[in-house]
Parts: sequence; structure tokens; C-alpha cells
Amino acid sequence: MSELILKTEELGKVFKMGGRTIRALSEVGLQIKKGDFISIMGPSGSGKTTLLNMLGCLDKPTKGKVVLDGKDVTKVSEKDLYKIRRHKVGFVFQTFNLMPYLNAIENVELPMESTKKSRDQKKQRARELLKLVGLSEREDHRPHRLSAGEQQRVAIARALANNPSIVLADEPTGNLDVKTKYEVIRLLGKLNADQGTTIIMVTHDSQIAAHAGRMLFLSDGKLLAKEKQGTHLAKDALKCPNCGRETQPEDTFCPRCGKKL
Amino acid sequence: MGTLTRAIRNVSRRKARTLLVVIALGFSMAIMISIPPGIVANQESTQDLTENYNNMLSSMQEEINKTATLIECSTSSGQGMPSGAPSGDPQGMPPFGSQQAAVFVNETVVDEIRSIAGVKDIVEFLEESSNETTSETISSPRGDFTVSRPIYTITGVSLNSYFIDNYSILPTEITSGRNLQEADSGVVLVSSNLTSYLGIGIDGEVEIYGESFTVVGIFEPTSQGRFETRIAYMNITDAQRVTGNAGNVSRLDVYAESASDVGGIADVIEATYTGLYVTTYKDRLENLERMQEMYTETLNNAQSTIAQTQSTATQVIIVAVAATSLIVLFVMLYTVRERTKEIGTLKALGFSNWNVMSQFMLEGIIISLMAGVVGIAIGSVAAPTLTSLLLPRISMFGTQRSFPGSVNLGATVSQAVTATLDPQWMLLAFGFAVLLGALGSVYPAWRASRTSPMEALKHE
Repeated sequence: MSELILKTEELGKVFKMGGRTIRALSEVGLQIKKGDFISIMGPSGSGKTTLLNMLGCLDKPTKGKVVLDGKDVTKVSEKDLYKIRRHKVGFVFQTFNLMPYLNAIENVELPMESTKKSRDQKKQRARELLKLVGLSEREDHRPHRLSAGEQQRVAIARALANNPSIVLADEPTGNLDVKTKYEVIRLLGKLNADQGTTIIMVTHDSQIAAHAGRMLFLSDGKLLAKEKQGTHLAKDALKCPNCGRETQPEDTFCPRCGKKL
Repeated sequence: MGTLTRAIRNVSRRKARTLLVVIALGFSMAIMISIPPGIVANQESTQDLTENYNNMLSSMQEEINKTATLIECSTSSGQGMPSGAPSGDPQGMPPFGSQQAAVFVNETVVDEIRSIAGVKDIVEFLEESSNETTSETISSPRGDFTVSRPIYTITGVSLNSYFIDNYSILPTEITSGRNLQEADSGVVLVSSNLTSYLGIGIDGEVEIYGESFTVVGIFEPTSQGRFETRIAYMNITDAQRVTGNAGNVSRLDVYAESASDVGGIADVIEATYTGLYVTTYKDRLENLERMQEMYTETLNNAQSTIAQTQSTATQVIIVAVAATSLIVLFVMLYTVRERTKEIGTLKALGFSNWNVMSQFMLEGIIISLMAGVVGIAIGSVAAPTLTSLLLPRISMFGTQRSFPGSVNLGATVSQAVTATLDPQWMLLAFGFAVLLGALGSVYPAWRASRTSPMEALKHE
């Protein structure tokens, strides 16, 4: 049985806005094992991003706890949380958030800046990661010279820089066209399958969510009891679940049997 | 990829903005670095001026004391002005070479005066200006003006070795050659400004009133005024011959047996010879006192201007420092606001508050350093203009008309404002630039470091 890497217990978050109390998360209990690829789905305002922020130590819950690698991170002081973010968590954002004044390899090196790695080791690691995401040839390119898909691949490489325990992806395909978003989801699936990277992805796109190993649903800040198995893109390639024929990532219907994929 | 590299890249990202900020800061810095040397130079200049005045007054006092028994009798009212120069030095002539018709008395008067009780010795002089004149332009704090003055003035002196040894009748500052001696004839002792005007040296020939004289010595005029009279000293018999004044003199230095006889002798001369203007130790002391009053007034004016300058400079520097700090502060606040999302991303990637703060502070310091370089560049070119625009000038009015040499002193003071920067100031300015950059960036950088990563990531 896989090791439990992330756990939440009765996680709750309440915001106060203009005298109103908004319950963004309520009693969320999650258990993520090492090597899981989980997608969290839900409509806008369901608390997906809030949950991801709690898991990524960007925000603190008002109730409950988040246990990451056996440590309750809700008890860690604000000024020490950066160490957990640096070493345990990798973030992938919808808008990529690359530094425009750094080239691809420098962007990947960025999270390693204050680590004990030597300059050469950082460079070496960044090269390996760019190779992993298929951008070896583009390491000297600044973000404005990369396509949206390439930028997100650089962001994924950056998220992996410090070999984190989990990668948190917030709508990673939200800013991409149909073809590119499948490339990205395929890459995430491949990293999960080949490298054993634990990925938690938040999306409102059911087709993309379906490519994860497990799909969770959030509604009004509550985790719904229903849970679905995803197709797991990398494990099951791109075969039609009905007739078994290979399909393209952008296909919505199987070109052979015509059934909805 | 270190914090410094990222800071430099960020600063160079918005080139136009950085350039404008650097130029604005550079001007503030230029003001800051230009003004202190200006004040120091003003103070030094006033100090020099005070020293010059004091030296001049004490040398005059000394000269007056040495000549307690001297009664100067001149045919011209402009004569008799006390000066630190030998009594034969026509520094007491009206300034700027204004020419008065020379008046002479016959040497028979000398014998008559000699017969007055209490008179010990009489030294005769004949002073006459050349007929040819030159036009010269004077620059002064009150503007430029042109004056016409004789090319030279000759001073014929009774070259008696007893007089030469006992009275100050010849210049003492001989820079080359020798002084005049008893029985010298056909030779001249000339002032250095005349040799440079004529382009001659020792043993050179100079034509005076159509007759050729050999230069045996060159002397330095006692004060360094730009309009120091160009003089040629010669034997009085030569002077009388060449000017066609055989038997005439233009000035007599009458020496009394004792200081107590001076008043009586002066009264007799004044009563008997109405054409002679008599000046005694007492008159010279009165003149000295008047001059001291004028000097004191000028120095007080200068001191008051210095005080005003310092007060203005302090205000200007405070405004410049405040402007510099505020520019850095607002630019960095704007930058932090503009880059909120970037700050959120950095924090999400594991950057500590200090990492974020140091990057923004470094950016502020880099901008200030660049401004420091620009400020020094502007300052080294425009320091005189900036200081003269921002600081009051020291007024020298009231002294120029009084005596020769004051024009030069006035010019010295106005030049003080054009003080230039020295490397020490530049280094200090650099340090100050860093300090202001750091100070102006502290708050924005602190704000950046305290930004919640979650809130920052939402920022568009």
C-alpha cells in the first residue's frame, strides 16, 4: 500500500467580507497517497482554489489541519511556511506566472535559488527538467518567445525543480487551446506515471479532469461523497473505452465507433 | 541567477521609466553634491578675503608707523593715499589710470622747505605718465567696462645712497637684476607688468619719451591688482630731462627731525604753498581707519551672505534629499503594486520575506546608484550654474572704487561660487545615493515582503 503523503482533517475556511461571513470550505477530509494523480472538480466559487491554497501552504485554514509528509503545516509559523513551499510543494498556475525577465532555464532554476545546490547542480537539474518536458532546445528563450503550451511546460518543470512531495496545479489548462491543453495534461500524466509525481489538479473542465487517476468533486466548499476513477491518460494511452481504438487527445468522439469519449 | 542579477534585469526592463527616474534623481543628486563644495568655497574665499584685507591693513599700518616723520607733499590731490608700497610707488594714483594734468613745482621750493625748522631731509620725485595710452577691459561682478590708461608711468627718484639706505624710496621686491643705485643714469628699474607688456627682459632696451633706457632690474608690484600701474623707476635727472621738466618735481617726501615736528612743518608748508597737498602720519592713519571701516563693511556683507547662503543651501539640500527619497519611494511603491502577482509567485515558489525584500531594496539601490553617476556627471558639468542659481552671491560693492586691487579681490569672491567637485565629494555622493536608495526602498520592499502570496496571486 502506498504511503500517505497528504491528509486533511475537517478542513474549514471562513472569510469575512463586508460584515458577511463566507464559508469557503467546510469539513474537507482528504487523503492523498504518494504517486496519486487527483483532479478536483467543481463549479466557480466551489472552493477549489481555496482548498489548493490550503494544501500548498499559501493560506491557513480557520479550522482543521493539513498534514503534509507527516507534519501538520497549519501549526507552522507564517514566516517558516516558505521552507515547506520551497521543498515540499510545486505550483503550476493557470497563467503560468513565469518571470518575463528570465529565460526558460533561469525560470526553472528560480525555486532552487536559496537551496544548498551549487550553481552547476542547479543548472544541471534545470536542464534535465527542461528535457523532461521536451524543451531542451528552448532553454535560452524568454517567456514572450514561447507559445502558451511551452510556457506551461516550463512552469511544470519549475514546479518540479526541488523534487517536491506534491505538485499542485490550479487550472493548468485553463489558458490553453484544445490541442495544447491535451499536450499539457498528457505531460502531467506522464510525469505521474514515469516519475511517480504526486499531482493534485484543480479544474472545472470535466474532460481534462477525467484524465487524472481519481476525480473528486467540490460543491459549496464541501467535498462530495462521489468519487470517480479517471481514464489516466498515460496509463491507458488514448484508447477509446468502447472499442479500444487509439484516439487523438483533442477527439471528443471516437472516430471508429462514433461514441462519446 | 542571484538576487542582484534579477534586480538588475528588472531595473532594465522598463528602460524609459528607469531613464526618467534616474534623470530626475540625478538632478536632485547634482544639487546635493554641488552645493556643499560651493559653500565651502565661499567660506574659504571669504577667509582668503579677510586674510588679504588684514595683511594689507597691517602692512599699511607698518608702513605708516615706519614713516611717522614723513610729510608727503604732492602737486596732485590724488597723491598721499597710504599704501603698503614704497612711498615712491604711485599706487596712490587715482585708480584705473585716470589722467590728471601733471603739475610740477620748481626745485627752488625744495630749498625753501628745507629751511623750515625741524626738517631733516627732503626726497624729490618726478612722476609722469606716458602720452600713449591703451584701452583695456575689466571684468567685475558689476559687469565689464573699458578703461584707457597710460602704457607706463615714470618715477624719477633722487638716487642718493643715504636716502636709498634710510628711506623707502625704491621698490623692495626685486625679482631679477638689481635695484637702482646712486649715480645710475640711462637705466631703469621696471615693474614686471611693464616687462611683460613690452616683452623685454633684463638688459633689454626700452624707449621712454623717445630716449632709450637699459633695464637693470625688474620688481614685483606690492599688490597684485590686475590694473597695477606699469612703472619705470629712474634717476630724477633722467626723468626731468626726458619729460622736459628740468628743475621741476611733482612730489616731495619731507622728513622731520622728530614726529613732534611733523604738525608744525605741515602747517607751514600748507600755509606757504597752496599748490601742494600735504599728507602726514595723522592723515594717513585717518585714511587707514576709513579703509578699515570699508573693509569691515565688506567683510560683514560677505559674512552675512555666507550665513544666508548656508541657510538657503540647507533648505535646498533638505528639499533635494526629500525629493530623492520620495521619488525612490513612489517609484518603488508603484513597482511593487505593478508586480504584485510576481511577488505572489516568488512566495509560492518558496522565497522568504527577506528574499523578496532584498530584491526590491536592491532595485531601489541600483536606481539610486545610476542616479548617483548621472548626478555626478551633471554636477561636474553644471555645479557652477547650479550653485550660482541656487545660492546668493557675495556682494563686493563699495570697495571697488576705493582703491586699486579691490577689483581683483572681488573677482576672487565671485569665482568662489564656481567651485568644482572633488573626488571626495563624489565618493560621498555615491554613498549618499546608496543610502537614499535604501531608505526610499525600505517601505515598499517591506510591503512587498508582507504581501500575502494568496492575495498577490489573485492580483491582475
